Amino acid sequence: MMSDYALQQAFNALSVGGEYALLALGLAIVFSVMHLVNFAHGDMITVGGYAMFLLIMFGVRDPFLVLPFGVLVTVLAALLIERVAFKPVRGASPTTGMLTAFGVSIIIQNVALIFGGSRPKAVPTADWLASSLSIGSVQIPVVQVLETIVTLAAIIGLVALMRYTTVGLAMRAAAKDVPVVRLMGVKADRVILSAFAISGFLAGLAGIFILARRGAVDPFMGFAPVLKAFVAAVLGGFGSLPGAVVGGFALGIAEVALQVLLPPEIAGFRDAFVFLLIGIVLVFRPQGILGERPDFGEKS
Amino acid sequence: MSNFLQSVRGALILGVAVGVIGVLALLFAEPFYQRIVFIFMVNLIAVIGLQVFMGNADITNYGHISFMGIAAYAVAILATPAAIKKTSLATAPFGLGTIEVALPIAILIALALTVLIAFLVGTMLVRQSGTPASIATLALLVIVHVVIMNWVDLTRGPRAIYGIPVKATLGMATICAILAIVAARLFRDSSWGLQLRAASENIAAASAMGVRIKRLRLVAWVVSAAICGVAGILFALFVGTISPKSFYFDLTFLTLAMLVVGGAYSVSGAVLGSIVVTFGFEIMRYLENGPQIVGLKLPTMFGLTGIFLGAIIVLCMILRPRGLVGDDEIDEIWRRRSKNRERSEISANASGAAQ
Repeated sequence: MMSDYALQQAFNALSVGGEYALLALGLAIVFSVMHLVNFAHGDMITVGGYAMFLLIMFGVRDPFLVLPFGVLVTVLAALLIERVAFKPVRGASPTTGMLTAFGVSIIIQNVALIFGGSRPKAVPTADWLASSLSIGSVQIPVVQVLETIVTLAAIIGLVALMRYTTVGLAMRAAAKDVPVVRLMGVKADRVILSAFAISGFLAGLAGIFILARRGAVDPFMGFAPVLKAFVAAVLGGFGSLPGAVVGGFALGIAEVALQVLLPPEIAGFRDAFVFLLIGIVLVFRPQGILGERPDFGEKS
Repeated sequence: MSNFLQSVRGALILGVAVGVIGVLALLFAEPFYQRIVFIFMVNLIAVIGLQVFMGNADITNYGHISFMGIAAYAVAILATPAAIKKTSLATAPFGLGTIEVALPIAILIALALTVLIAFLVGTMLVRQSGTPASIATLALLVIVHVVIMNWVDLTRGPRAIYGIPVKATLGMATICAILAIVAARLFRDSSWGLQLRAASENIAAASAMGVRIKRLRLVAWVVSAAICGVAGILFALFVGTISPKSFYFDLTFLTLAMLVVGGAYSVSGAVLGSIVVTFGFEIMRYLENGPQIVGLKLPTMFGLTGIFLGAIIVLCMILRPRGLVGDDEIDEIWRRRSKNRERSEISANASGAAQ
């Protein structure tokens, strides 16, 4: 029995970690090419979620149409936000970019609030997403299994993209030195748009799983997951892609472990412990688990 | 010494402006508007507190409101009459549920506690610069919120603490705001402030010149927290009830918008931004509730204030990333302008004489 419970919690940790990893990867990829801390990352999920809601309202119910549509809109939202808000502040200080992203985030939340109201709106995803798989005596929700698999597939795909394509090469190079990349004849614009498209795609994937768990959209649904993704990104080393993955899974495991191990009367404080992790990491290993320590005097 | 006097004079220009707002509200405004002006003063103090750290150390800070919350909760728990606590906080630990502390002592304890916590947090925080430091301050905001929400015995959790003695007046808030302005300006122009600002421009050069960056950041952080603590105490003692959501992202965004719109790098920017954003925010709040304007009934649109805040942050970052005021204080800008004018007059006269 105990081992069944452990197995269930392990899958739980993997799927939660996968969600954080997907989101943290999206944050990291944008940060690595343009040093922008994208607070609006989660709100792209909100946009995608409302798009799915609208599509279902218009009578389209087939999940194989609705879910890809949600991901597509999330990608388009990412690209649009880049054009409208982030392009004008490109090259400004990281502070400027971060505050711009915060502003964008507030705008999206409140536009959703005006047009959608503050009440959650039900978005039924597929029934089979909500069912459970039985492995021996263990019941494991399909969402968790799929989320783990999709996360791993997305990571493998991303590694392939970064390694074997010209765009990937350009993005890796841009993470090191943007001016030199431009001197090599690569359009900075294209690199940055690709980064946003990828981050939007990853956010869209994560969004599907977030929706499958919650079953509804509301204006602030993207905010809390992204706060956690920040913890994951800092844990792994901000801007490092492998770090984002490691940080995401580490956070997922830590969270589930705290949930299981903390006595019930202090379980409510779990998020305080999670965010305290940031403090601990910053004190003992400021560059994160896999990040590189910036040279002294480098503005990070 | 003349520098010191210049700083005080510069601060007093702003102080007089704020004082005029306070006095006008006290003399002529109806209670509803007096309340708005009081909240403006509280927000202004928090924005100035924020400026002390953000403007000098150049680290975007999302955690300042947590110090407002800590101070407000501390004073509320200490100073609420024991009779009320018997029903609201009977299970409070450390015997806090039964004691009632005199208000001045409660205020001092609340401030001391805020400073102590700020110091402990600060020793960890100042080791980081830039983005990681900002995210750490964000983590602080979340942690303090989670603790207040979950330490139900001490804070009543998500429910409000009520019955806090309503002792703060608009006059007090105005005086505190003016004192905060003077303190922030003196800190900015002090050798500590100057060293910090130098370090935020070029950390390597400044530390080569012997600037002890971490220690100075810590000083700025603690001063900033203390000023925010004053704002929290005034808030609690004016409103009489506080709950955790008063000290979370909404107020963080509002005060950050005020600071960045005015300009984080000067006290003048903090004051100007607070005035401009409060004005816009109140207009939006009026529109949000669906008012009747010249016979036309507008729809209620909750979220309008949020869109306003977000839009003005984004527009400001795109058009004037260093804020309306920019890098210098208003009196410094004026002095430079009048000097330039004199110089151009002299050169005009000189060229006139040569002809």
